[in-house]
Amino acid sequence: MAVIKVKSEVTGSVWKIVAASGARLDAGETIMILESMKMEIPVIAEDGGTLAELHVAEGEVVNEGQLVATLHE
Amino acid sequence: MNDKAPDERGARLEAEFAAREARALAMGGPQKLAQRAAAGVLNARERIARLCDPGTFVESGLFASSTSNPADRDSTPGDGKITGFGKVNGRETAVLANDFTVKGASSAATNGRKIAHMKRVATQRGLPMVFLGESSGARMPDHMGARGMGSLLGNDPTQYQRLRETPWASATLGLSYGSSSWYAVLSEFNVMRKGAVLAVSSSLLASLAIKEDVDPQEMGGWRLHAEVTGFADQVVDSDEEALEAIKAFLAYLPAHHNEAPPVAAVPAGSGEGMRDILALLPESRTQVYDVRKLMRTVVDAGSFFELKPRFGKAGVTGLARLDGRTVGVLGNNPQSRGGAMDSDACEKLTSFIVLCDSFNIPLVLFVDTPGFVIGTEAERRRAPGRIMNMMNALALTTVPKLSVILRKSYGQAYLNMGGGRNSDEVAAWPTAEVSFMDPVFAVRVVHGLDPGAPGFDAALAEMNRANEVWDFAQVYAAQSVIRPQETRDWLIRMLEVHRLRLTGGIGQHLMRGWPTSF
Repeated sequence: MAVIKVKSEVTGSVWKIVAASGARLDAGETIMILESMKMEIPVIAEDGGTLAELHVAEGEVVNEGQLVATLHE
Repeated sequence: MNDKAPDERGARLEAEFAAREARALAMGGPQKLAQRAAAGVLNARERIARLCDPGTFVESGLFASSTSNPADRDSTPGDGKITGFGKVNGRETAVLANDFTVKGASSAATNGRKIAHMKRVATQRGLPMVFLGESSGARMPDHMGARGMGSLLGNDPTQYQRLRETPWASATLGLSYGSSSWYAVLSEFNVMRKGAVLAVSSSLLASLAIKEDVDPQEMGGWRLHAEVTGFADQVVDSDEEALEAIKAFLAYLPAHHNEAPPVAAVPAGSGEGMRDILALLPESRTQVYDVRKLMRTVVDAGSFFELKPRFGKAGVTGLARLDGRTVGVLGNNPQSRGGAMDSDACEKLTSFIVLCDSFNIPLVLFVDTPGFVIGTEAERRRAPGRIMNMMNALALTTVPKLSVILRKSYGQAYLNMGGGRNSDEVAAWPTAEVSFMDPVFAVRVVHGLDPGAPGFDAALAEMNRANEVWDFAQVYAAQSVIRPQETRDWLIRMLEVHRLRLTGGIGQHLMRGWPTSF
């Protein structure tokens, strides 16, 4: 089982968590939406997998490159 | 005079020929071949057979073998690298397939001559070149010592020269070190199979050098090259898919730089989604979308062939066809960083511009960017240099370039994405907004007002109005304002208008000697 670490591409804040922990995600599905640069920027699962862990909560500030979710392939 | 009967002589020659041929075709022996088969990996000859049209491969150097070490003479069929000419999609192509079962396909004197011959013929006769990479690197015993180095390396000054006379396509299909990696990154296209490793040298050597354990996948696996280095243009699960990807890539390109790209039939259903294309663009400017859906809708059905999808994702690059003709599609993807370009995105777009211009492929730009990523990290990643490389590439482009502004185009990024005279034609959707800076930030800078402050909303509304497309069209900075649903037709017409008639479709290739990565 491969562990996929999902990192934030941008600095911003977590606006909305869309996917539930434990959910099975297809490649391309949105995990959460960040607010950054006055825009709603999605964090997307590039590879399909099970959402094993969310490392941030709504409202939390995230930095570019920060680990925000872990998927199990 | 031969005292034996001709048929007897023929039989004798045939017997020896057949025996030698069988030895060469046996590669590294049944055991190694069986191991590969069990692992679900094709061997070098199977790869060639899948790549080339049936019955077209003519081998060059079947009876070549190692000469450096007498002991290797009979144990190095083909000297570990199989070369020859075959038709790919019906078109003559020079092919090199590394045979890992023979001394790990390591580079040595004889196989070096084979590769040089392939490249020379490809360059001089105008054939695409395919590298099927899987090599342990230099054959160490042969290269050791001053005599080994002096005899084997550096005697061909064109060995790693790239002037883009013909397209190079590469597949990284196993452990790939040394020259196998060099050719992969010198190629226009490199597809990587999951499980393969592309690196300077083996993880074992790296572990010895830095005295710590190095994980091969972390050092040179597909994820690194798809997401961090950009050296993998595509990633696939199997050898078979990799060979299909090479065929698909080459089908968009001309055989050489003095030829226009091939023209394909227009698939049924092309342009079908145009009527509803506006629905792909969110109404709110704070919401993002995947520009690739829009690109796929505009180009010929099923023709969008994306390159580097996981690298520099704020930029999108892909080959496609419009009315059957190859185009290079590039754009900003708001879904990633809001479409703000970072150093990786700039590098990705730059190398794509160089690829297209070098092979007479017109560029189509889809623009929606708030600008470049700025800040300390961006400067550390050498943003000004990357931004100017890209700008210079666009300025040196001599193939037709058409840009369509979908939504935002701000600041220097406006120029980098073909704004003004940096495209041959600029079209804007009615949703386009153009200015020096995003209005929210501009109100702060110009009026010193933060959101919520008295007067902010009025100042913002005025800024937004001033950014509208109609003022842009009034000063003729956009030659056309087009209805979104007309985008495909407009592009097809304008590609006709701007066809390079004076040179039969051939550009000037001013970047043919530019690096293949930056």
